[in-house]
Amino acid sequence: MIPETLKTSLQARVASAITAREAAVDVMKELQAHYGWLTDEAVEEAAALLGLSPLQVEELATFYEMIYRRPVGKKVIHVCDSISCWCADCDKLIQYLKDKLGVGLGGTTADGMFTLVPCCCMGMCGDSPAMSVGGTPYGRLTPELVDEILEMERKKA
Amino acid sequence: MPKLIIDNIPVEVAPGTSVLEAARSVGITIPHFCYHPALAIAAACRLCAVKLLDGPVKGIQMSCALPAQDGMVVSTTDPEALKMRALVIEWLMLNHPHDCPICDEGGECLLQDFTIAGGHSRRRYQGKKRTFQNQYLGEGIHHEMNRCIECYRCVRFYQDYAGGTDFGVMGSAGRVYFGRFQEGPLESPFSGNLVDICPTGVFTDKTGRFRARYWDYQFAPSICQHCSVGCNTSPQNFQRETIKIVGRRNDQVNGWFICDRARFDKSYLNDPQRPREPRLDGATCGYDVAVDAAAKSIAEFVRNNGADNLALVGSTRLSLEGMILLVQLAEAAGGARLCYYDDPAQQQGSVAAAKLLHEESAAYVKDIEQAQWVSLHAVDLMEEGPMLALAVRKAYLAGAQVFLVAGDALPVQSTLPFKYTAVETLDQVPFEGGGKGVIICGAGSKDPDLLAEMASSGAKLVMLQPGANGFAAALLAQEHAAVPLAELVSSRQVRGVVCFEADVPEVLLSELEVLASADWRRGPVEATSPIFLPTTTWVESDGTTINYEGRAQRFQRTRVAGLPLKGLDPKYYGSATEAVALHPPHVHRKEVPGGAERDAWRVMAQLIERLGGEAVEPLTGKWHALKSLDPEGEGARIFEMGLGE
Repeated sequence: MIPETLKTSLQARVASAITAREAAVDVMKELQAHYGWLTDEAVEEAAALLGLSPLQVEELATFYEMIYRRPVGKKVIHVCDSISCWCADCDKLIQYLKDKLGVGLGGTTADGMFTLVPCCCMGMCGDSPAMSVGGTPYGRLTPELVDEILEMERKKA
Repeated sequence: MPKLIIDNIPVEVAPGTSVLEAARSVGITIPHFCYHPALAIAAACRLCAVKLLDGPVKGIQMSCALPAQDGMVVSTTDPEALKMRALVIEWLMLNHPHDCPICDEGGECLLQDFTIAGGHSRRRYQGKKRTFQNQYLGEGIHHEMNRCIECYRCVRFYQDYAGGTDFGVMGSAGRVYFGRFQEGPLESPFSGNLVDICPTGVFTDKTGRFRARYWDYQFAPSICQHCSVGCNTSPQNFQRETIKIVGRRNDQVNGWFICDRARFDKSYLNDPQRPREPRLDGATCGYDVAVDAAAKSIAEFVRNNGADNLALVGSTRLSLEGMILLVQLAEAAGGARLCYYDDPAQQQGSVAAAKLLHEESAAYVKDIEQAQWVSLHAVDLMEEGPMLALAVRKAYLAGAQVFLVAGDALPVQSTLPFKYTAVETLDQVPFEGGGKGVIICGAGSKDPDLLAEMASSGAKLVMLQPGANGFAAALLAQEHAAVPLAELVSSRQVRGVVCFEADVPEVLLSELEVLASADWRRGPVEATSPIFLPTTTWVESDGTTINYEGRAQRFQRTRVAGLPLKGLDPKYYGSATEAVALHPPHVHRKEVPGGAERDAWRVMAQLIERLGGEAVEPLTGKWHALKSLDPEGEGARIFEMGLGE
């Protein structure tokens, strides 16, 4: 169940859209912020708000990689494995992240702080290899830089 | 009109035609998966690649998404195009399981055909295949996601064409998954078409899985008998059992698709309990013995009580042939009364509709699809003509306004695949001349004055008949002054009846003496009749029906009559003198077990002969033109043939 205030603000967001469907991403992000991830309950709530079927919300939710349909850690690390980053040896970087966090791709650290997922380009090809942590983008990564960033992000949380 | 050259053949097509369709028009099939004539273009599978050698665009192009233009020179056999298609098919096959031997689609699989055609026969990819969990999608359809090649045909049909919202496509990239949010039966009453539309075996017909291969099936063009729309189907039979029913294209009626009732509702055809043996006073007898007895009983009744006291009762289930011969049988019986309906209100509405409709007023399916407004008048469209709901949806998507007049009586579960405005009376529908509007209503039990008021609006009309062949019944009832059975009973005008595929309510039955009954299904009439003559269903007979718009369509026998071989009791192989063996006898016999059934009209013809009448052919005289109708064609509206009012 979402609080009445959130519900009212989302209803207003949907009402201001020309078609309900275009507000779907905003609604899903708000619900995700509320629950920590987009739960099954949240999908059905989003569907009710948008006048869509749960399936139609699920179609969108599973398409976007920043909508999480499973529980995630406090901060999600999206590490790019697309072509430019691959040329910049992101494989090594991803391996380093896995080893450092002690999780595989899709895994969440034991302390529930980070979830590591690959992503397919975030428009930072000029600064490859790149990743984002909890929404903050970082480029030109090296193992040392990764150590520093994770430390900092852990403290900020 | 663009003129282009495809494989050295000059082609001229209408503007907007794709290169793929242009090629098809001269008999060249370009391999394709995602392209389907009834659906929007997706250009998702990349298989229809051709090479353009000259013209406005050059090089490799997707022919399904490329409109034909003047000056194009297209090669479907260019080595580059062939290579491209071979690589695409190899790539589409990467994850596809090698399970054709245990796949129900095997033998009728587009993916098999085009894999072979594309020359892909050696697997190079040695990696792991992606796999999925399947979902339970109800009792009609089996889901096997691993076989998916992501052509998006299913979701384009289910959501875009049929307006369903509970099935779709999830995920992205290599995780694309076609299914539901949660397991459960598919909600759309058109879901069965996923079986036909999937180019491979992701969706197979659960009601007929693993029974036979495509090459085992017997089939012939048939017409669905569930409602008066008359959708074209192709029942697939194996060893006297109707295994599956699939849609058959007729752009004038159902397009490519059929509803789930047409597809899945078939168990009664194979029912081992179907009454298949002729009976005389409760005992099984030979067919001719039963016909003789029936003729004798009719003659005796007429002699003792007068022909006026006898009614021959048909129904809207009868084929046109049966309805015509019923008239002649009544004459042969010395002028017996004729009934095609038991309920006076139904006959009144049905006949009024047939009278009101003529070439100008009766809507074609195209008229519905292109209407500017559609008014549904107290009609449960999902019950009385589901496929028309898809035609209305097309109009709705094109911007037509849809009204539902006096729709309070509708069951809530019938959700229509379009939005509508509910109004109380017809006057509230803004007609605006009526020119491009369509009124859809059920004809049965409607006040003729109301129907006439609708007809006077100038809009095109759809008046759905009670029963599959209601239009024909209305024509004959009117021509031969048939009276509803309930009326004859209440005024005590008849005492005896002979029923032909008629479902007489028990209230009426209690006041009547049933002399004989001919039917293919069980019921109170069959149970009470001293003489019973089993008849064939439409899958086991040739015949003609006339649908709601007056379109006469021929159907053909798709299999012989008789008990399905599956589960057949060994007693049918036994002899009268020896003990029943579990194995069929090693000798040939000519009769099919339970195959004594005859077409209702043939039974009538035999009765006519026995009663001293002339041997008759049903489709003679003014009906003669229908005899040459092509069962694989689009049918013909009777108005064009001068058969209407």
